[in-house]
Amino acid sequence: MTHLASLFVLLLMTAPVYGQASFRTADGHPDLQGIWTSASVVPLERPASLKGKEFYTEQEAAENAKRVLGMSSWERLGSQAPEHYNMSQYGLDLSQAKVASTLRTSLIVGPEGRVPPLTPEAQKRIAERAARNRGHQFDGPENRPLQERCLIYSSEGPPMLPSAYNSNLQIVQDADHVVVLQEMIHSARIIPTDGSPHLAQSVRQWYGDSRGHWEGDTLVVDTTNFTDKTAFRGSTANLHLIERFRRIDKDTIVYEFTAEDPATWTRPWTAQIQLVRIEGPLFEFACHEGNQGVANTLSGARAAENVSK
Amino acid sequence: MHVKTLVLAAAILLPCAAQSTAYRAPRTADGKPNLGGIWQALNTANWDIQGHAAAAGPFPQLGAIGAVPPGLGVVEGNDLPYLPEAAAKKRENFANRLTLDPEVKCYLPGVPRATYMPYPFQIVQSDKTILFSYQYAGAVRTVNMQKAPEAPIDSWMGWSNGHWEGETLVIDVTGLNDKTWFDRAGNFHSDALHVIERYTPRSPDTLFYEARIEDPKVFSRPWKMSMILYRHEEPNAQLLEFKCVEFVEELMYGPLRKKVSK
Repeated sequence: MTHLASLFVLLLMTAPVYGQASFRTADGHPDLQGIWTSASVVPLERPASLKGKEFYTEQEAAENAKRVLGMSSWERLGSQAPEHYNMSQYGLDLSQAKVASTLRTSLIVGPEGRVPPLTPEAQKRIAERAARNRGHQFDGPENRPLQERCLIYSSEGPPMLPSAYNSNLQIVQDADHVVVLQEMIHSARIIPTDGSPHLAQSVRQWYGDSRGHWEGDTLVVDTTNFTDKTAFRGSTANLHLIERFRRIDKDTIVYEFTAEDPATWTRPWTAQIQLVRIEGPLFEFACHEGNQGVANTLSGARAAENVSK
Repeated sequence: MHVKTLVLAAAILLPCAAQSTAYRAPRTADGKPNLGGIWQALNTANWDIQGHAAAAGPFPQLGAIGAVPPGLGVVEGNDLPYLPEAAAKKRENFANRLTLDPEVKCYLPGVPRATYMPYPFQIVQSDKTILFSYQYAGAVRTVNMQKAPEAPIDSWMGWSNGHWEGETLVIDVTGLNDKTWFDRAGNFHSDALHVIERYTPRSPDTLFYEARIEDPKVFSRPWKMSMILYRHEEPNAQLLEFKCVEFVEELMYGPLRKKVSK
């Protein structure tokens, strides 16, 4: 199977607004169920070269998709180690995924298309954190990135972002819950839609605490109670997220999130991602169970220290 | 005489009556018994699926906190039909449980162990898929209710295909790897494990759970375990995170930490 044979680029030019969702569960709620991918050829932030340009023309969008999908996995990941990051051998490369391309030039909406400037307080906090870890990156497991430790993947969310590969998720619903199950790293976020209040402030979680409600055909999810360990792009434990899920046709959900944290960003910001239906199945991503990375990295560092002694 | 016989008959029949299908559960919108909710076993099978007396734990410094609570066991007939070599391996597993039990390292628990660990789990039931989300280690599995595809590959939580038999959700679990155990006592299985689970509502807030275990590489015949699962009835019941990876890093990686020179 060639890359091209399995390449589907769905050009979703506009998001048509339907008065009534035709996809309903037996309970009568909009049906978001299925297996989806958030794979994207558009970056979160608008490149400087496209400053002031929120949308491509159709031709430009097609050219951008062709350029991004034509890159190798390791070029896209910015890795110098192709033997580790040749995702195409597993069928996981972006060029092998379904991709909903859009006319957007960045996932972040609005004229700027970029994460707003950090507040002075956040700049100080982030610089201090980086300084504390500088020269200690290999001291112990807690100095390693969360993703390498299999604690939380930066793309799994909330908020959910396209990953460099394998951006797959499944949604399952019952009468008063919506579950978002991310393949990486098998996190099931159970969102009650029964009107129950958030957890007490003393209960803080990696994925926060999500509560949903339906506004017409849109699932609106409010998430608070984060930890400051999660630190989404430098955020604090007071990060407040509002996500919106709206199924616009058989194969597409428009997913949007707004991130707000006055201690981190000078203003709230919003990104929009199209989720495209895929056949699946999801596979088990047993990250920690197969994690050789942390032990190998630390033992390598200890060996290097012994040599330099 | 008559009365005596009756009492005797009742005593024999009673355990079976407990799992009869006399109870009819509330329905989901598509007409199936509704198993949705947060459930938990209230037994000590995670310490030992067989009947066992209370015992000191492996860490005396933990005192009563680290002791093994007693339990009646959940194995039908209480005997595990190990093949001779497998029985020896079970004893070895127990002796080395602090390094070999996958629970120590926060590894995914497999099926059926996930069901009776001392943590709650939630069932989210739709007509297409039934999702089981376990608090322990964020373990999760989805049960295919529409088609029954073959397991594409072995995994920790296996591959689950489900169907309804009257009031009972029957799940056929295959594709399990050989890395999970049944309990902290070292009871184990191979990658030939085939589990058939049966979840039957027996009252508004309890389920009867049965798992038939077949593994010809380890056991001389199939055997069954069964237990009752209880609903969390607290009005604010919610599955909280127990991402235990963070709690095992010192154990797993501590010896690789940089030594601080004084």
